[in-house]
Amino acid sequence: MGVQPWEREILAREDMQLTTDPLEAATDDHIYFSKEASSGGRGFGGGGCGCN
Amino acid sequence: MAAGVTDMTSITSRKERSVSATLAAATCALLGTTAAAPVDAQEEPKWDFNTSLLYYGEDESRVQDMSLKSIIRRLFADDRTLTLGLTVDGLTGATPSGAIRQDVPQSFTRPSGSGSYVVPAGELPLDDTFKDTRVAITAGWQQPAGEKGLLSVGFSASKEYDYLHTGVNASYAHDFNNRNTTISAGFAFASDSIEPVGGAPIPFTNMLDVGDTSNRVGDQDKDVLDVVFGVSQVISKNLLVQANYSFSQSDGYLNNPYKVLSMVDSVSGDTLTRTPGIEGGPSGIFLFESRPDERTQHSVYTQAKYFMNGKVLDASYRYMTDDWEIDSHTLDVRYRWPIGDSSYIEPHVRYYTQTEAEFYRLSLVDDSLVPLPQFASSDYRLGNFDAITAGLKYGWKTRNDNDMSIRVEWYTQSGTVPAGQLIGNQASRDNYPDLNALIVQFSYRFSR
Repeated sequence: MGVQPWEREILAREDMQLTTDPLEAATDDHIYFSKEASSGGRGFGGGGCGCN
Repeated sequence: MAAGVTDMTSITSRKERSVSATLAAATCALLGTTAAAPVDAQEEPKWDFNTSLLYYGEDESRVQDMSLKSIIRRLFADDRTLTLGLTVDGLTGATPSGAIRQDVPQSFTRPSGSGSYVVPAGELPLDDTFKDTRVAITAGWQQPAGEKGLLSVGFSASKEYDYLHTGVNASYAHDFNNRNTTISAGFAFASDSIEPVGGAPIPFTNMLDVGDTSNRVGDQDKDVLDVVFGVSQVISKNLLVQANYSFSQSDGYLNNPYKVLSMVDSVSGDTLTRTPGIEGGPSGIFLFESRPDERTQHSVYTQAKYFMNGKVLDASYRYMTDDWEIDSHTLDVRYRWPIGDSSYIEPHVRYYTQTEAEFYRLSLVDDSLVPLPQFASSDYRLGNFDAITAGLKYGWKTRNDNDMSIRVEWYTQSGTVPAGQLIGNQASRDNYPDLNALIVQFSYRFSR
């Protein structure tokens, strides 16, 4: 399991990052925090709004 | 010569990817997540601007949101990163008040206590005074800690007309095993102040006539502590996985100050009526909701990224359980499919399901033999429902090598009231109407 440093070309690609699009991730977290009873998981629970 | 140009392009491209990887890592730190991918040293300071415009609109004239969101990053030498975020939301529309439908028109006092509104017979009571502007800011600093550590600290604040949030967060990630394994730990603490229009109502008191604020008290507050532990692991050249455990503890005022429950007859299930005051007021008995003043949530989140011949599969699953007896499952799948060298499409499907909170009630029963429960809320977000999101994103590189994308998604919620809660006439009404929303987001990103 795992790779050598010289085998990381694919893993270093932008589209292989765990959070590819930070704005989209933040937007989704906020929408679902407002509309559902669960939040967080990927990171902190979010919130900071009176919408829930 | 041509070969030379190609090589230069290739080098530039690799460098850009490296910047992207660093920025993604910084973002993960801001979100409290882990990043296992390697981060190459940066030789030069660099700015990165990421901006999006979002439209979120629910059908039936419910909530509409226009949101402008920006994340600006400054990369310094030695992989140190400053991240600043700004979000401005403009919200309008109507949201369910929590009262049930009736076969006759119903009147309600507005949350401010200074007016009233009427809901036609047979319609779901919506409070149409929902209008707010929200401004949120974030700031984060990330820097290496030793050879294999990454330290992040952050601050967040947001303000709405009736809500103030301030929070801090910090996390640490450490690489092991030839940087194939990363473990991380982080916490976030928020201290929020709720300043409801017209004052916070005392739980389980009646909605009063216009001008009567005798059941309103001052501002309320709540604290939220989040703790996240994570591990990410490189499995192979094209497979990366992550697992997080999160704990969240909320204490304080957890009610929604604008939500009520209808008090109903124990046989017909219809709302008990009253005569509104001279200046207007409720035509029925409506009690403000009452939730516990603490909540503990646990969740487990797993994610995998798999590269297949240029295409990338991103799949995640989350399980959440809490002491309000809500359990939820979330499955999220994205598939990025390149079109040529400079654009892609990305279909996205998300499935969510939750059980209702133990104190979820469609209505309260007027029965001298049965006392009121200790807690009750008819907020549909605490009910038993499923939700599906389906969408498509298209992204492309501009001639200046900047990134643009647009995504269109459809979100739909469908819930049910537990059969045992339906009384008399309630069984023939749509007590849990579907929620349908359109999400359109345009994003633009460039580096300098």
